[in-house]
Amino acid sequence: MGKAVAIIGVGQTNHGRRMDVSYPDLVREAVLRVYEETGLSPNDVDGVVSGTMPSMMEGVALTHFYFADAMASAGKPILKTETCGSTGVSLAHTAYYWISSGMADLVLAVGHEKMTEGDSQATMTTVVEPWYQRYFIAGAPGVFSMQSQMWSVRYGLDEKKVRDAAAYISVTHHDSAFDNPYAHVKIRVTAEDVKNARVITYPVRLLDVCPNSDGACAVIFASEEMVKKLGLKKVAWVKGLGYRGEEYFFGDSDKAVWQSAVQAAKQAYDMAGIKDPRKELDVAEVYNPFTFQEMLFYECFGFCGLGEAPDLVLQGTFGRKGELPCDPSGGTLCTNPIGATGLIRTAEAALQVMEKAGDHQIPGAKLAFSHAMGGVDQFNGVMIVGSER
Amino acid sequence: MSKKVAVVAVAQTPGAESKDNLYDQAYHVTREILDKSGLNREKVGTIVSAASDIFHGGISCANSYYWETTGAFLKNASRQDGESLFAFFYGVMRILAGHYDTALILAICKGSENPENDACTLMFSDPFYQRELGIQETIAAALQMRQYMDKYGVTKEQCAGVSVKNFRNALGNPYAHKRGRYTVKDVLESGMLADPLTELQVAPKSEGIVAVLLASEEAAKKITDKPIWFKGYGSSLDNYFLGDRNLLEGQLPAAAARAYKMAGINDPRKEIDLAEITEPYAFQELLWCEDLGFCEKGGGGKLLESGITERTGRLPVNPSGGVLANNPYVSRGLQRVVEAVLQLRGEAGEHQVDGKRKTALAHGTHGFAGQCHAVAILGS
Repeated sequence: MGKAVAIIGVGQTNHGRRMDVSYPDLVREAVLRVYEETGLSPNDVDGVVSGTMPSMMEGVALTHFYFADAMASAGKPILKTETCGSTGVSLAHTAYYWISSGMADLVLAVGHEKMTEGDSQATMTTVVEPWYQRYFIAGAPGVFSMQSQMWSVRYGLDEKKVRDAAAYISVTHHDSAFDNPYAHVKIRVTAEDVKNARVITYPVRLLDVCPNSDGACAVIFASEEMVKKLGLKKVAWVKGLGYRGEEYFFGDSDKAVWQSAVQAAKQAYDMAGIKDPRKELDVAEVYNPFTFQEMLFYECFGFCGLGEAPDLVLQGTFGRKGELPCDPSGGTLCTNPIGATGLIRTAEAALQVMEKAGDHQIPGAKLAFSHAMGGVDQFNGVMIVGSER
Repeated sequence: MSKKVAVVAVAQTPGAESKDNLYDQAYHVTREILDKSGLNREKVGTIVSAASDIFHGGISCANSYYWETTGAFLKNASRQDGESLFAFFYGVMRILAGHYDTALILAICKGSENPENDACTLMFSDPFYQRELGIQETIAAALQMRQYMDKYGVTKEQCAGVSVKNFRNALGNPYAHKRGRYTVKDVLESGMLADPLTELQVAPKSEGIVAVLLASEEAAKKITDKPIWFKGYGSSLDNYFLGDRNLLEGQLPAAAARAYKMAGINDPRKEIDLAEITEPYAFQELLWCEDLGFCEKGGGGKLLESGITERTGRLPVNPSGGVLANNPYVSRGLQRVVEAVLQLRGEAGEHQVDGKRKTALAHGTHGFAGQCHAVAILGS
């Protein structure tokens, strides 16, 4: 393997409906914060990786041009990584490889989206080709509702129990968002609120769904030599990474035992030497735009057996005080600026193992899992970070 | 770099409109690479592609569509947007980091199904100030060309000479989209597009599915006896607003300096044996040659007239006909790598340059007046 790589700093915007700033200014907010946090300046970094969702989202193509100044990247080497919803984790992967290959010592990764200036569901419908699928894919919720149904039918799960578990996830994540200063949706909800909320696509209801957020995330990655040179003690070492993509046509693959998710996690576990993820991981930031889907991810990532997730959720296994806390930041369910979201997952994982997560810190977290998903249920990417080299 | 990476196989489609759909075209190019390298899909380590949503027939998240047809099913693959040399570099990184022995790099752009180039490049403009003015890549290039001629006294005839040379070179390139024997007068009288740019000084809209297979030193030895080695790479991004930039003092010298440093090149005029550079507007070949250090500032016109950059010259530039002859927007950077590899291997056929050549430069640029540049150095 190549050189060791660590995350040394994180900058996030105050995510939400940010009509007070332009899109470049939103990006600038995150970039300034990561430089303030690390005490570094743009002159110090060897390269910048930028990424968003497709250009139909905000109506600007190849946004690394537009954000050259906001990212303080003029005069710098640049890469532009885009893999749909998994863009954020793919940005982290790109920064990792850049340093691990020995061709850079400090790399800035920036993910961004200003979703209130576009139409996210219309954009997502254009991910599917215009001949067969586009007529059927009503944005993201339709796809994930079909997946949820496939999963619960596969294991003969009790509909009421699945509904209760999904409501539990919604309630606990919305509570957690109050402990995250950067989270978008901060509302107290009860299980009854969730179960009585307006149906979006059955069984998904309004409080089972993430919001459209404006937000950006900036993360600085460093080589081991640079970590030493800067005299940094608390950093998040990259322990493992994995990525997989599967069939483009939604109906071609099994979405209940979702192979791209299973194998992306396995690749990351193999690299990190993890055999029993529920025991060995201290915290996970799972990309969870929909409550039902989060349970399916737990199973695909080996956090529990197939079909077991609803029971364990209701027992609190994945709660803040549980065996493997998932999404203590409130997760994607409460904040979703898509191009930034995956990188926020990795950033939150890094904050946990650096003991910098503030009010949503999981005490003693040493090994953290982060994940993002993209395409029409097609891509999954994982990055695992740890406090130990 | 302690480890080495080689290009071990290349493939490309012709630039003219194909009756094949994108899916089939991408499959054929991937199949060709596998056949040429004697690998099956399972043996390919990782895949990095380049494509742009807006240039992609109305499909967002472009790589989700062509994922399986490029062999990526249940593989660790990724994608770069806008410039295919980014994907080339990312593939190199993935091998040097020790995770993979081979990397398939693909660039995908089906120009015939896209809107006009500048309908797409207009989308680079911010929606509030520049887009209202209609600023797109050709308008930006016209402003840059005017400044270039005014400052250095480069003549419009010299600029047109680039078109004459490159369309003539393209006569020997079976993949070229446009080719022909033109005079300087033909070029200058070809109809005004954006003053001072005439039609024959502006690149067409082409198709291009372009692929290379990269391999670690060990893997390369098993695949080919003619590896072409990765020697260096550099890129650089300029400020965004045209008015904030000096269009004649751009970022190409910085990108080139990084690539030369990595490759250990001190005097590009002597050490580079041929160059494939991205010149969507004829005059840019002259300006980029200056920025790459092939001649002094303002000397691009004289460099062309000296014949050094002819296919038979000391430092041939765009023996394939360059981007003027073939312009699949996102793919054109990687296409320069493919052409450079063919030349270094002595496999360029009718457009093969004279004599033994050891070191080649491939250049890509995208954005207004060269807002972003990338340079790769390859050696036999």
